[in-house]
Amino acid sequence: MEFLPSIIMFVVIVALTGTAGWALWWAIKTGQFANFEKGATSIFDDEEPLGRPTDAFPDRKPENLK
Amino acid sequence: MNYGPLIFLGVFLTFTAAWVGLVFMPNAQLKDVQAAVVEGSANTNPRPYSGLEASGRRVYVAEGCVYCHSQQIRAGSYQADVERGWGPRRSDPRDYVHDYPVLLGTMRTGPDLTNIGSRQPSSAWHYLHLYDPQMVVPGSIMAPYPFLFEKRKISGQPTPDSLKFTGRYAVNAPEAGYEIVPTERARALVGYLKSLDHTYDLPPLEERK
Amino acid sequence: MTTAILNPSKSPSGHEPADGPLAQARKYSELFQRSEIDLSCRYPVLAFFVSGVFWLLVGSILAMLASIKMHNPHFLSDWSWLTFGRVRPAHLSTVAFGWGAMTGLGTLIWLMCRLCRTPLRFPAMLVIAAGTWNIGMICGTACLLTGYTTGIEWIEFPLWVGFILFVSFALVGIWAMYTFGARHAGHVYVSQWYLFGAIFWFPWLYATVYILEYLVPVKGVSQETIHWWFGHNALGVFFTPIGLATIYYLIPKVIGKPIYSYYLSILGFWSLALFYNWAGAHHIIGGPVPAWLVTVSIVGSMMMFIPVTTTAINHHMTTYKNFGVLRYSPTLRFTVFGAMSYTVVSVQGSLMSLKVYNEPFHFTHHTIAHAHLGLYGFYTMVLFGALYYIVPRLTAREWASSRTIRFHFWSCAIGILIYFVLLSIGGMIQGFEMNQAGDSLFKLMHSHGWWTGTKLFVEGFKYKNGAVPFIEIVENTRPWLISRSIGGGLMALGHFAFAGLFLVNLLGIGPKRQGPTLLRSDEEGYRKALQGDEGTEHDEPSEGNMARA
Repeated sequence: MEFLPSIIMFVVIVALTGTAGWALWWAIKTGQFANFEKGATSIFDDEEPLGRPTDAFPDRKPENLK
Repeated sequence: MNYGPLIFLGVFLTFTAAWVGLVFMPNAQLKDVQAAVVEGSANTNPRPYSGLEASGRRVYVAEGCVYCHSQQIRAGSYQADVERGWGPRRSDPRDYVHDYPVLLGTMRTGPDLTNIGSRQPSSAWHYLHLYDPQMVVPGSIMAPYPFLFEKRKISGQPTPDSLKFTGRYAVNAPEAGYEIVPTERARALVGYLKSLDHTYDLPPLEERK
Repeated sequence: MTTAILNPSKSPSGHEPADGPLAQARKYSELFQRSEIDLSCRYPVLAFFVSGVFWLLVGSILAMLASIKMHNPHFLSDWSWLTFGRVRPAHLSTVAFGWGAMTGLGTLIWLMCRLCRTPLRFPAMLVIAAGTWNIGMICGTACLLTGYTTGIEWIEFPLWVGFILFVSFALVGIWAMYTFGARHAGHVYVSQWYLFGAIFWFPWLYATVYILEYLVPVKGVSQETIHWWFGHNALGVFFTPIGLATIYYLIPKVIGKPIYSYYLSILGFWSLALFYNWAGAHHIIGGPVPAWLVTVSIVGSMMMFIPVTTTAINHHMTTYKNFGVLRYSPTLRFTVFGAMSYTVVSVQGSLMSLKVYNEPFHFTHHTIAHAHLGLYGFYTMVLFGALYYIVPRLTAREWASSRTIRFHFWSCAIGILIYFVLLSIGGMIQGFEMNQAGDSLFKLMHSHGWWTGTKLFVEGFKYKNGAVPFIEIVENTRPWLISRSIGGGLMALGHFAFAGLFLVNLLGIGPKRQGPTLLRSDEEGYRKALQGDEGTEHDEPSEGNMARA
């Protein structure tokens, strides 16, 4: 019982490092670091392209948007 | 350039290291801390809580005293704590061996209570102060705890520890024939507050490797 | 689009006209796809949002009670369940784990679906998670108000309530893993990294702290190191990542520009993961803990300048030159306010770990002001921004009143500014007086004028003696505590205005509008707006979208 907290901590450390290592391996393998500039624009698409504001007060007309 | 893997690797090693450093190591270092044995006797400093004090500690926790009162004397360049008279020395890990949960606290809306038992040993004062802090300390912003007391009709002799509204407190006294009596919870809480006394000397701790 | 980035050889269309029939079809399929994703989120995400807003109102009421009790201690003091020491932890738990966590999780779920470009699966699972979370919150709040508390700040809920919250969090976590596995987008956007951080780290923190504080409790002051390791990390690796993920998605989306430097954003994430963990023990500087531990924490806190600077550069430079949009977009207003607060609160937080700063102010209201700038000025304001963006897309209804939105913003913004600025000053005075030798600031200012008085006060500040009687310090903080109630009252007012607006939107009883928000019901107006658009510098659509066309 005396060692239980230490054992718990050890298990958690190992599990965490394991998951972390796996995430690293995965990120490299799938090319997450391949192209930062394209990654930045991955949230835009044809319908909500770059240059289009997508939110406004209800009383503002769309044509007033920059 | 591809710095990614490098960043990741550094992050993960350090992330785990942080965990070891902040959770594992302090525990490993402090888990063997024992109360100091008073020479020539079976007593220890600090002594274990009595049953009343332990239940008083539970009242202290339940009523959230920790949100306004700390229980730690800082040292080093933090001399103000000592010079204010809150304690003769810095708090030591050994002072907390019997505490669960440890109530170091983060606020000093009210004064530090590490040694309140030695500063204010009077039960009567504590009862009056808990009942109505503004009555005892004008200008105080401490919450009153009237629900830890009950108003009773005096039958025969007044209860020995009923609140004594003498002198300038007389205006707050209940109507004649009634008395304000601390409940069991108030008695326990005051028992705990009076037990808060860490003014004893501790022998220096051997250097730990 | 990302599949194209990852598999350039499979890039679908090099020579297809931009306005050809295929492109048109793809356009509408994407519109359909996005609104399909949004509508698939409707019930689970709204369940989280409605609960979150409910707990925000409960938390605001509890906050007002606690704040008024601070300067008028006899206010409602006869009932044990409304005593300050119970209302205060109940306030913290309801706003942090009720409002903050539930609204944050709702936002997380929606962002996950959008960034994975996949409709929400297993909605029932998430609705159950929201339900169990609410059960946990109700039980926990009842426990705190009846005095059944663990007594450890930030984890006041009893073990079994913690278990309920853990289980419903696990449901969300498992759901997030599954959704990630079923995603249609190849690239993992920076927001997703932050969300994953929150999803992974929080259960780990929460389980560790409950195990080591309750199940197999460690002895003595080790409890405090674990306690503050958790307490600080709950903010740093749960609330902060959700807030930042939301900012990193909403600011570019609303303005229509990618973030200034994607590389910096990734760097910011990993340096946050790297350093935030170390910072916890700065809560016990000077306390009865090993000195090396505190030193390590101070170093960790100072290293936080790296992620904070990168994030600040990114947020500011993305918004820079587009500040005009702030006039048009409620989402952006709240989000940018939150982003600015994040920079301020993080820089302040790092400095607060320095001994020279920490020493006088640690036990004062200065830290309370700091905490509110973090969880309110940053996190809550960002969540409001997220709600303004997400809710119309879930209910397919525009917000009913711009005036109410503006009132909400200014009420909350002015409220938190009053709160932070005045309470910070009050806390500083309190800290100086608790640690300095001479007379109190007020006494000196009264007898020497405010300028000479302040000078004498600063000169007399030598950490000696504790000469100012404690009760005098208490009396001097009182005006600042009253200003806190005023600021808090404004914030609460804003919350009730927002809750009304939210309710009107949910029930659909507001005026019908043809607004610019991109709703499925408003495709006509949307298409019209699209024709005037000139933004063409976007990527090719992905394979996945093609297949759906």
